[in-house]
Amino acid sequence: MRVSLKWLADLVDITLPVEELCDRLDMTGTKVEAVHTLGEALDGVVVGRVLTREQHPDADKLSYCSVDIGAAEPLKIVCGATNFAAGDKVPVACVGATLPGGMTIKRAKLRGLESQGMMCSATELEVGGDGSGLLILPDDAPVGVPFAQYYGLADTVLELEVTPNRPDCLSMVGVAREVAAVTHVDYRVPSGTPEESGTPVGDLVSVEIADGQLCPRYTARAIRGVTVGPSPAWLAERVAACGTRPVNNVVDVTNYIMYELGQPLHAFDMGTIAQCDEKKAIIVRPAGEGETIRTLDGQDRPLASDAILITDPSGPIALAGVMGGETTEVSDATTDILLEAACFDPASISRTSRRLGLISESSLRFERGVDPDLAARAADRAAMLIAEVAGGTVAPGIVDVYPGKRPPAHLPLRVGRTNEILGTSLTREEMSALLAPLGLGVTPVGDDLDVTVPAFRPDLEREIDLVEEVARLYGLENIPSSRPGGRGRIGGRTPAQRFEVRVGATLRAAGLDEHIGYAFGDRADLERLTWDLASDEQLVELINPMSEEQSVLRWTLAPSLLRAVSHNRRRGVSDVHLYEMGTVFITADGRKQPKERLMVSGALAGAWNAPGWNEQARQLDFFDGKGVLETLFETTHAGRWSVRASDRPWLQPGRSAEVIVGGDVVGWLGEVAPHVLDNYELTGPVVLFEVSVPALVKAASRESISYRDIPRYPAYALDVALVVDEAVTAERVTAALRSAGGALLESVHLFDVYRDPQGTPEAQRRLPEGMKSLAFSLEYRTADRTLSEADVRPVHDKLIRKVCGAVGAEVRA
Amino acid sequence: MTITDDLRALEAEALAAVEAAATLDELEAARIGYLGKKGSLTAVLRGLGGLTADERPIVGKVSNEVRQALEGALESKRARLEGTARASRIAAEAVDVTLPGRHHPVGRQHVLHQVVDEIVEIFSGLGYRIAQGPEVELDYYNFTALNHPPDHPARALQDTFYVKDLSGDRAAVEGESDVLLRTHTSPAQVHVMEAQKPPIYVIVPGKVYRRDVADPSHLPQFTQVEGLVVDEGITFGDLKGTLEHFVREMFGPDRRVRLRPHFFPFTEPSAEVDVSCGICGGSGCRSCGGEGWLEILGCGMVDPNVFGHVGIDTEKYTGFAFGMGAERIAGLKYGVPDLRHFIEGDTRFLHQF
Repeated sequence: MRVSLKWLADLVDITLPVEELCDRLDMTGTKVEAVHTLGEALDGVVVGRVLTREQHPDADKLSYCSVDIGAAEPLKIVCGATNFAAGDKVPVACVGATLPGGMTIKRAKLRGLESQGMMCSATELEVGGDGSGLLILPDDAPVGVPFAQYYGLADTVLELEVTPNRPDCLSMVGVAREVAAVTHVDYRVPSGTPEESGTPVGDLVSVEIADGQLCPRYTARAIRGVTVGPSPAWLAERVAACGTRPVNNVVDVTNYIMYELGQPLHAFDMGTIAQCDEKKAIIVRPAGEGETIRTLDGQDRPLASDAILITDPSGPIALAGVMGGETTEVSDATTDILLEAACFDPASISRTSRRLGLISESSLRFERGVDPDLAARAADRAAMLIAEVAGGTVAPGIVDVYPGKRPPAHLPLRVGRTNEILGTSLTREEMSALLAPLGLGVTPVGDDLDVTVPAFRPDLEREIDLVEEVARLYGLENIPSSRPGGRGRIGGRTPAQRFEVRVGATLRAAGLDEHIGYAFGDRADLERLTWDLASDEQLVELINPMSEEQSVLRWTLAPSLLRAVSHNRRRGVSDVHLYEMGTVFITADGRKQPKERLMVSGALAGAWNAPGWNEQARQLDFFDGKGVLETLFETTHAGRWSVRASDRPWLQPGRSAEVIVGGDVVGWLGEVAPHVLDNYELTGPVVLFEVSVPALVKAASRESISYRDIPRYPAYALDVALVVDEAVTAERVTAALRSAGGALLESVHLFDVYRDPQGTPEAQRRLPEGMKSLAFSLEYRTADRTLSEADVRPVHDKLIRKVCGAVGAEVRA
Repeated sequence: MTITDDLRALEAEALAAVEAAATLDELEAARIGYLGKKGSLTAVLRGLGGLTADERPIVGKVSNEVRQALEGALESKRARLEGTARASRIAAEAVDVTLPGRHHPVGRQHVLHQVVDEIVEIFSGLGYRIAQGPEVELDYYNFTALNHPPDHPARALQDTFYVKDLSGDRAAVEGESDVLLRTHTSPAQVHVMEAQKPPIYVIVPGKVYRRDVADPSHLPQFTQVEGLVVDEGITFGDLKGTLEHFVREMFGPDRRVRLRPHFFPFTEPSAEVDVSCGICGGSGCRSCGGEGWLEILGCGMVDPNVFGHVGIDTEKYTGFAFGMGAERIAGLKYGVPDLRHFIEGDTRFLHQF
């Protein structure tokens, strides 16, 4: 809501400097979003008259004009607007002027012709209204006078954020009432009744309301013999100050009253309305199935059956509260006006205007709730003003159909309860004094108050609504601060939440940066990853996505990380180590909401570090990813885990594995397959892993950590190299060593893997074809003494024989 | 020449040799040359057997003196040589200490999660637990139970992401859906109040979604932290004092806080909370748009209608709720000019915090 202080001062005494007034409004719930000082920014802008308008010889869309600004010589101006003709008065920014948007006008050549200034639109001058063309001024505008002076712009306009519960503040009177209440002064409600003569309106117009819910009140007045034309300057200015383009005197009055009192009005060309029983017959009814109306912008609008129509016996003449109809629009030829001041169902107006994309100042007010008591007063004042600015006579009386009339609401306000909620100790009298200036009727009843709520405050429906009024007028800054006492509460994270914290901390310690990506996914990632969903799984689809790339919810964190790696690579960052912990979504037929699972995923690309003066950059590969997982499982005590070679289509065969905890597959790990790297415009290797966090939490919860004695005696270490078939995994040999080890074997450490390099000539081969050598260091120890060779050797020899038999190994000489 | 003279001569010669030794190796060679098994002094001493009983004590005494002198000289020379050797080794090992150290890759926590963790820590200290809720919500939890009227504009398709409902019920068939991506963390309030009786002290961090195009000041996905307290005797003053404590912990003890009345469907009275600008201290500057204050969160007393949906007695209990955006707080704290940085994963951004 734009509020001209000049206008506001007519309605309420402004006793505070602007800055303090804004603070006061801010602190009582009407936020001042901006303060525009009009006029001062418009030095160098004057009223001009277009003398000639010619086509620019070298540009179709430009014209070349001669403009009188009261100087000795007219200015030559190149202009891109089209809504003007020779003879029009327009604002002209001369060379050197700086417009409110910051643009400074310079002498400039445009397609070969010099332009000595600029003719301006309302937007360029920030005076409110239309930016589509020049601001055309009334004919009586004096040429050469500073525009700001002519336009009465030495004004300050406050832009107020009006919250949805305060429809009353969408009018100057409402704002004046609020200012009066928060600055402790009085305000004035403008009123006025027209001089009436001729045939009473009741003999000219009939009104019928089909549904009192949709239209609680409809009033009509008639003004006959008007002359439609431009508004006088004061009216045009005020309408423009509120941000609406002046149209003509009749329409401008309806807009003026809407801004002043908050009652949207509509003026019909009465001559175009069909009659019934020799009266202009207005019928307010819901739209019929398949009905349409041509609105005054010339568009045919199909209507839903809950739209409210103003009709006459021939059909729809206006879309109630949203937009007038084309057939009954006021034109220059109109002489008789039927003035509508009505009240419509907020929900219906909201749905209709949103469905049609027609959101107007009128619909915005109706959807928040217009005071039904206001209609007749607004009609009286508007009729008076129309007669004043457009001539004509006002027919006596008003047609007023008011099926929705309700007695004023009474609300009890318990003083004690109010103080309990706010933490204050206000007396009944103090509360009463805060509420009364808002226009509420306040009567003491016992210790408490009975509050009569006027119809312009539809938001006050419950006691708590009054408590809020007390709070904001008392001032939140005056409420003493305290903190809850609250015995019986327990703070902190749950065990699962603490585990999640530890997972993050461990991955960071392992060198991975945390990434947060979009939860949105792209269905095309299924193809990019060559990912097959299980037959009972479906992606979670958005009904109204912003784009194809964000049209589903992600089912894996992999694309998020691959995109982040790719983003870094495109910007020249080659070493990228990221992890992300986030929810993935998967659904299935018959499910309303998807399953949500917390996953942790990591990506490694490049090296841990850039090459340094004393260290090499080593290309990260599968085993770096596995090392991260080893660190993760060891540090978080997430149980015994293993990996098993297992192909995933998005991972490179032979370098991919699934992660197993307690027999269950809880994730996967591997290097991204070359075709997938291509799809994400990456060069490899890129290592990826993904593990279910709840699975880790579960495993960790089963794991109990218990103390083991620190060894007091040294270990006895023996090394052995075992030659085995390529197909025999390290894990199998290690497991065989462990299981055959007996009580003395403490640890098994694989320290070397040897293969003859590919293409080694037969003579130089150190191992038989298809075999590899795994070298282990075995440590033997017992708790109560130092072991000797005599203790260990027989055990060791027996162990090796057993293992060789079990896995088909030979001891390498 | 007596044998004693021989010994003295040998002593002089040996001491000179020790003195002349320039390295530990030469010193060792000298030691072996005189005191080794085949050393010249050893040879002399071996010849003592042929002496008379009178000569023996005298020669024995001298030879001992010679040996001791020699050993003493060897020892002090060794110490000196070792000292020199260590000193030269140390000199050789000197490094340019300004050369960079070996890099130890340690990852960074995302700045948004640093902020969220800080908020969680502060409220944990005040006795709040951490609650969570689904990101794919029902209209009921996101809007209805939070007292949004049926035609509330936030429900519109242009503002809220809706999710295809596969349950097969009528609404899904008609292409309408009451399943959506939560637009705030507030639905978790309703879940918490359904699941547990007061006293309730919870904080709810999580992702939320709104249909905005990503630009410097909007993201379709962002991070909120919600707070909810329901207990006997909770007042607006408690809300105010709690948030004042929070802001001072989060932004520093010299920052001021103000609550401005506002409107939210699910709280009443409601307020927006501003913190004094950290750049200008409240006098107004570019970074606060000249206002001196920066808006950081919304809050209010839980609306009785919300308690009505979850069956909490509004006469017995009162409560407050608040919600804030982690992006907003991180943006203010660190001056991040473009929200998209938070979601792109550029490691040069991640490493700044």
